[in-house]
Amino acid sequence: MKKFIYFLLSLIATSPVMADINIFACEPEWAALSQELGGDKVKVFSATTGLQDPHYIQARPSLIAKARQADLLVCTGAELESGWLPLLQRKAGNAAIQTGAVGYFMATDYVSLMAVPSSLDRSQGDVHAAGNPHIQTSPLYIMQVAEALSQRLQDIDANNADVYQQRSVDFKQRWQAAIDKWQKQATPLKGTSIVVQHDSWIYLFDWLNLNKVAVLEAKPGVAPTVNDLNKVLNHLKTSSAKLVIHAAYQSPRATDWLVDKTAISKVTLPFTVGGNEQSTDLFSLFDDTIQRLLDAHK
Amino acid sequence: MKKLKLTLLIAAVLAPTSLVFANDLDDLKIEVAQMRADYEQRIQQLEQRLAETEVKQNNVQAEIATVKATPSSSKNNNSFNPAISMVLNGQFSDYSENTDDYELDGFSVQGEGGLAREGFSLGESEITMSASVDQLLFGQATIALHDHEGETEVGIEEAFIETLGLNNGMTVRAGRFFSPIGYLNEKHIHAWNFADAPLIYRGLFGNQLGTDGVKLSYLLPIDLYAEIGGTVGSGDQYPSSGEHSGIGDWLVYAKTGGDIGTNHSWQVGVSHWQAEPEDRVYSGGHDHGGGADPVLFNGDTDISNLSLVYKWAPNGNFRERNFTLLAEYFHLDEQGDLSNSAEQATYNGEQYGGFIEGIVQFSPRWRTGARYDWLGSNLRASDDELLTDADLDFSGFNPQRYSMMLEWLPSEFSRVRAQINHDKSSRNNDDTQVFLQYTVSIGAHGAHSF
Repeated sequence: MKKFIYFLLSLIATSPVMADINIFACEPEWAALSQELGGDKVKVFSATTGLQDPHYIQARPSLIAKARQADLLVCTGAELESGWLPLLQRKAGNAAIQTGAVGYFMATDYVSLMAVPSSLDRSQGDVHAAGNPHIQTSPLYIMQVAEALSQRLQDIDANNADVYQQRSVDFKQRWQAAIDKWQKQATPLKGTSIVVQHDSWIYLFDWLNLNKVAVLEAKPGVAPTVNDLNKVLNHLKTSSAKLVIHAAYQSPRATDWLVDKTAISKVTLPFTVGGNEQSTDLFSLFDDTIQRLLDAHK
Repeated sequence: MKKLKLTLLIAAVLAPTSLVFANDLDDLKIEVAQMRADYEQRIQQLEQRLAETEVKQNNVQAEIATVKATPSSSKNNNSFNPAISMVLNGQFSDYSENTDDYELDGFSVQGEGGLAREGFSLGESEITMSASVDQLLFGQATIALHDHEGETEVGIEEAFIETLGLNNGMTVRAGRFFSPIGYLNEKHIHAWNFADAPLIYRGLFGNQLGTDGVKLSYLLPIDLYAEIGGTVGSGDQYPSSGEHSGIGDWLVYAKTGGDIGTNHSWQVGVSHWQAEPEDRVYSGGHDHGGGADPVLFNGDTDISNLSLVYKWAPNGNFRERNFTLLAEYFHLDEQGDLSNSAEQATYNGEQYGGFIEGIVQFSPRWRTGARYDWLGSNLRASDDELLTDADLDFSGFNPQRYSMMLEWLPSEFSRVRAQINHDKSSRNNDDTQVFLQYTVSIGAHGAHSF
């Protein structure tokens, strides 16, 4: 009998160690990064796909069920998920993912954000107090987040710390080489004048030295009116643009309107992993993004 | 002689070779010099390339370094303030029939359940505050202000604390909260899809069922969403009534739901509520004075609910387009007695009904929807006069209502709604109702609940 109890106790004691780390990623780019850094030691779930606007997600039953089982939340932060993530945290009955816990990882906590508004007012549209949250459009930011996320994985799952360490070194090497390659490929794009539909590309523009001449949305997150679009059109008469960028998850209506009125060519970029068929992981995301920009630039 | 011969021989043999050797040596020297120059050049090139790569890498490293977070310095005294938001409402209502004549046959409309004031009116203005209390608890309160007969009434709609990190899927909530009966009941009225409550909510709860008590819920550790739970409460809110020293009302519920592919999601819930009302007063709602001698009910009340929610959005992207189908059914069963100061009668009542609504958001800024309400009742008492006095006569008639609405959503935080009802709540009434309403939310960002 005693032996049996010991056996049971040993089962209870060992079972959590054997289990994979359950990662709940809010967006596909963090799911992909978690997979790169965690390998077969982690089980990754992405709450959104590349074709969804990550701000307008509802706290669906399926997401509550996944959050309940998560050991680690990997999200963007900076209020991008403020409509649904707090609700999931409250409904999940899971101490591991509460704000401030070791299982709560917000990527934007580890980078310095651009476009921090100097004043906050809802009349300005969908402004984020912490700054522009769309950091995944620059591989430099992803590198920085990778460093912090790998450290977090090592903290959560100390038994496999050396595996995460090794994977992190390996990823950073490959990512570094890829950045060099992309920068070389993108040299002809330097200084290109571009119009964007939503201001979600500032990190990409900063990285590749692209020149943003206009934004179709007069206020972030608010669909532009014909009046707004006409203003952009007038502005483009004085400072011409070569391309207009729109993200795969957004309605192309405003972009199509501009393409119809001008000789500017339209580029639909994946925005994140899964935004189109070609972007299956972080590497192919940037391969495809740069290829599409180059193709349209010709 | 021999020596000389040998020397000559060696010389003869060596001479041509050494001459050749000397020539080769010169060639070799030149070749080596060339090779050296060549290698030096190559090494130089390599060194240069290495240096370039290093510079480039350093550049990237430097660029990465610039994106590193710098600790923020905004640590004010007020950074621990709770999230505060306020919902503002205003409405214009028009009815083809006299609102004083409004009745819901087979039901006694109580509390807030009556029709909104005709003409312009200010709806409920709600203030919600919420924050984490500490590492274990979350707290939230909603204070509602509304006018009632010329005076502003302040009500505590919800005020509860809730555990955050109890683990294993367990959550405990304590305080005042909306009972987890049905789908709409747990949402605030401003989050509903129509300007007025479904008839069954109006008839059974006077719009919404709340309780002061404790709620316990457990979420199963599986990929399918499955939650079970229960509440116990004071039992003093309609349709319960009276002061109970212990548990006055209780409820059990089960909910399950999930996704089908990326486009579809669903939820099904069942719940059962029970109370033992003491001296429930039938006053006949806002517009009918109960008179000097009101009818009272004492007995057992049981309510069961079944609710179904289905949502569709192309690629699961709710922003652009979506569709919601919602259906709920309630069944009330009660036994006890009706009495006034003079008489007493045994009473046996069944009230039931439901609604189905479909809402289409066809662009980020526009939504439209339709709703159908249907009710029924079967009320019996040993003395019909008491039934009439309690406003519970005319059972057997099935009230019905058809509603249509159109919403314009300038942003996530504001809404303008137009609604038209064709309301046959009673056999004497055939009302056309029109509502124009605005609802806005200011302050902290609201939650996108399912």
